[in-house]
Amino acid sequence: MIYDEDTAQQIRMCAACPKMCRHVCPTFLAWRSESPTPHGRALLLHQEITGTRPLDERAIEVLYQCLECSHCLTWCLPEIDIADIVEIRRRQLVKEGRFPSGLNPMVDSIHTHHNPYKEPHEKRTDWLKIPTIDGRSLVYFIGCTAAYREKSIAQDTVSVLSSLGYQVYIPEDEWCCGSPLLRTGFVDGALEQARHNVEILNNMDAEEVVATCPGCYRVLTQDYPKHGLEINKPVRHIAELLQSHLKSLPEFELDGPVTFHDSCHLGRHSGVYEQPREVIERVSKGALVEMERNRDNAMCCGNGAGLRTLFPEHAKKIGAERVQQAEQTGAKYLVTSCPFCKNMLESQAKDRLIVLDLPELVKMAKKQSHVKTD
Amino acid sequence: MKERLLDSKIKAKIAKHLENIVGAEHVTTQETDTVLNAHDAWPLSEAKIRAGEMLPLADIVVFPGSTEEVSKVLKIANKNRVSVTPVGGGAGTCGGTLPIYGGMQLDLKRMDKVLDIDHKSMLVRVEAGMVGIDLEETVNRHGYTLGHTPTSMRASNVGGFLATRSGGSMSSLYGKIEDLTLGLEVVLADGLIVRTKAVPRHSVGPDLRELFIGSEGTLGVITEATLRLFPIPEERRFRSMAFADVHSGLEAIRLIFRADITPSVVRFYDPEDTAMAMSQHFDIEEGDSMLLLAFDGAAEKVDHEERVSVEICQENGGKDFGDGPSKRWWAHRYDMYYPTKFTTAGFSIGDTIDIVATYDKLENVYRAMKTAMEAHDAFVMSHFSHMYQNGGSIYMIFFTSQPDAETAWAAYKRIWDDGVAACLREGGTMSHQHGVGLSRSTYTEDELGSSFQVLKRIKKVLDSNGIMNPGKLGLGVQE
Repeated sequence: MIYDEDTAQQIRMCAACPKMCRHVCPTFLAWRSESPTPHGRALLLHQEITGTRPLDERAIEVLYQCLECSHCLTWCLPEIDIADIVEIRRRQLVKEGRFPSGLNPMVDSIHTHHNPYKEPHEKRTDWLKIPTIDGRSLVYFIGCTAAYREKSIAQDTVSVLSSLGYQVYIPEDEWCCGSPLLRTGFVDGALEQARHNVEILNNMDAEEVVATCPGCYRVLTQDYPKHGLEINKPVRHIAELLQSHLKSLPEFELDGPVTFHDSCHLGRHSGVYEQPREVIERVSKGALVEMERNRDNAMCCGNGAGLRTLFPEHAKKIGAERVQQAEQTGAKYLVTSCPFCKNMLESQAKDRLIVLDLPELVKMAKKQSHVKTD
Repeated sequence: MKERLLDSKIKAKIAKHLENIVGAEHVTTQETDTVLNAHDAWPLSEAKIRAGEMLPLADIVVFPGSTEEVSKVLKIANKNRVSVTPVGGGAGTCGGTLPIYGGMQLDLKRMDKVLDIDHKSMLVRVEAGMVGIDLEETVNRHGYTLGHTPTSMRASNVGGFLATRSGGSMSSLYGKIEDLTLGLEVVLADGLIVRTKAVPRHSVGPDLRELFIGSEGTLGVITEATLRLFPIPEERRFRSMAFADVHSGLEAIRLIFRADITPSVVRFYDPEDTAMAMSQHFDIEEGDSMLLLAFDGAAEKVDHEERVSVEICQENGGKDFGDGPSKRWWAHRYDMYYPTKFTTAGFSIGDTIDIVATYDKLENVYRAMKTAMEAHDAFVMSHFSHMYQNGGSIYMIFFTSQPDAETAWAAYKRIWDDGVAACLREGGTMSHQHGVGLSRSTYTEDELGSSFQVLKRIKKVLDSNGIMNPGKLGLGVQE
């Protein structure tokens, strides 16, 4: 059995629960069926453990219809983290060669190009302009989404960090952090990326590492150490770094309220809730309005753990629902602190909301405050 | 009894028909989906799942997206004489959505929209597949509450509320779902779409709306409802009183209602339930029973109701515990629904027999049921809740743990058999809000007496092929 006794007991309890968390499960919302639900996943695993029924192809598909967002955990009194349990089984499925073939292009792309987007590795950061200043040295781990899909986040991050007095360095040969592989069960492939990243990061002369992608941040701070891979300098998420410079951040008057979307990796998986809010409150002069579902009760954007790769239409449905939740606040701006979330939310918001990542908001404030000063 | 499980050729043919109606992505014959869709909240199902047993499976699960699609699906089922088990949230506690004769599970989860909020009349028109908590949160944004808060709120759907005649913890003030429903849309077995007009009262013959509320899918599929709304109360105030015995607490409750006071919450825990639920958190004398009260409304009304209730309680020996126990219950009211290591260990099983009786019989029913259930080595604790002017409900909660599955399921049945028999013997009614489903199906005829014939005849006329949820509500199967 791949589970220890305690985990098997948790699976048993979850499998027969009267569905106390299902109402917040994003995949339940997307499919409106009992199958992609926390208790559904647990029931399949429990039946496998008891020998009642092995996993068939559809059951494996159901196990991959999970965002691993852990929203269910917020509503679970016995504190059963089905995301973690699903990930354990995914690792085994990969070993058995029984994972959905729809993941192959992503896996191959990371192996070949070191990013999941099949983009040329050599173009990862060659476009990024880094100012030279006399300041504290910092490594910016860009991550694949900001490098290839959300370039303004990366550029604005560099700009904001420079204005805060940091000399920013970009790893010359940064690879995918491995998060998409780890979350879908491809541990060996992920560790190949991880070992490379740790080596280059540890060889760089800088005081700390900052990441804008919460997926990268979680992997660098939690998964790498779990696998014995230690980065020899502190790693912070950009929200934490910006919050530590709160009084130096620019302020400006926005033309409408701002609401904040918590990324699952940053919020529920890393416990970073207040820092991005403090930054938004500072730069927008208190324009933050909360969604009904916020902090550890925030809904996932729909992008996580391979769902967008395997079931893009359902992922978009989840993203659209989250945008609707943001619209209910009356906000004009939807800010997140995750390039991957921003990418999904912006695609669903269309022109109904202005979607920004946190460094983009700070950069906007910087520009506006300069205009006023000038 | 006719075997309903479909052979593969018929199954494929019917699935094809259904795909043409609802789209291929909304029909499944995959075993994994039927296994997951069978999952309900009947404690016996949950215990069997834990024990590694399979629940009864449907051959096909279909997810219609509109009333018209439900109608077309039922026409296909009726023509081919395929059993149809409607399912909403799959949160029923009596096995009512288990497809015990296979066939088709008609799942309403895609029909999850609020269609209209009529602010002037304070009504909401909603599809049957909307989850209770989603509906409550939606109307809350407009300043309303449904006043319907069953413990299953996060999992159960509007259609399930109606199909089982459900009740929430504040039913004393707001009423049960039958009191909260003005209009219904139902699809009959032959596909006929029936609508009952949403009006506050009428005198145009018998109320056909009531015929379908509580019909548990045996007479048709509820697809839409028009429900009452209430302004969110200005205040909800809590008060708690401990009594030295069950009798004096019950007297206090009866007199509170007689004084024309209608609390929103009235929950009276017997000594065992008080010890289990509250003694860890409050300094309560051993053997005492705790009464929890809440009052909803404008401050002046709440002041009056609380003052009079406290006076009545104290006149009957009540010891004032302030708002602590009641407030704590409110904050943790869903906690008892979660599985725990203790309640799920080994071959443990517990359940609740939620009976109802008038005040003249209530205490006798309680004592008779407790004696009958405890005779089977069960731990029994109870609370009186959902209280009204003329009587109220008792939650007879039992728990037993046995060395193996066979012994556990047999013990479970004996406790139910003797518990319900004691209830009926003392003049109680066997369910207040959970419904009949499978757990009470065999007692239905005893409960209803001669009126059971009316139900049977209605069933025969509305569902002549006997396809609708066979085996439930004591109505058997197609002959």
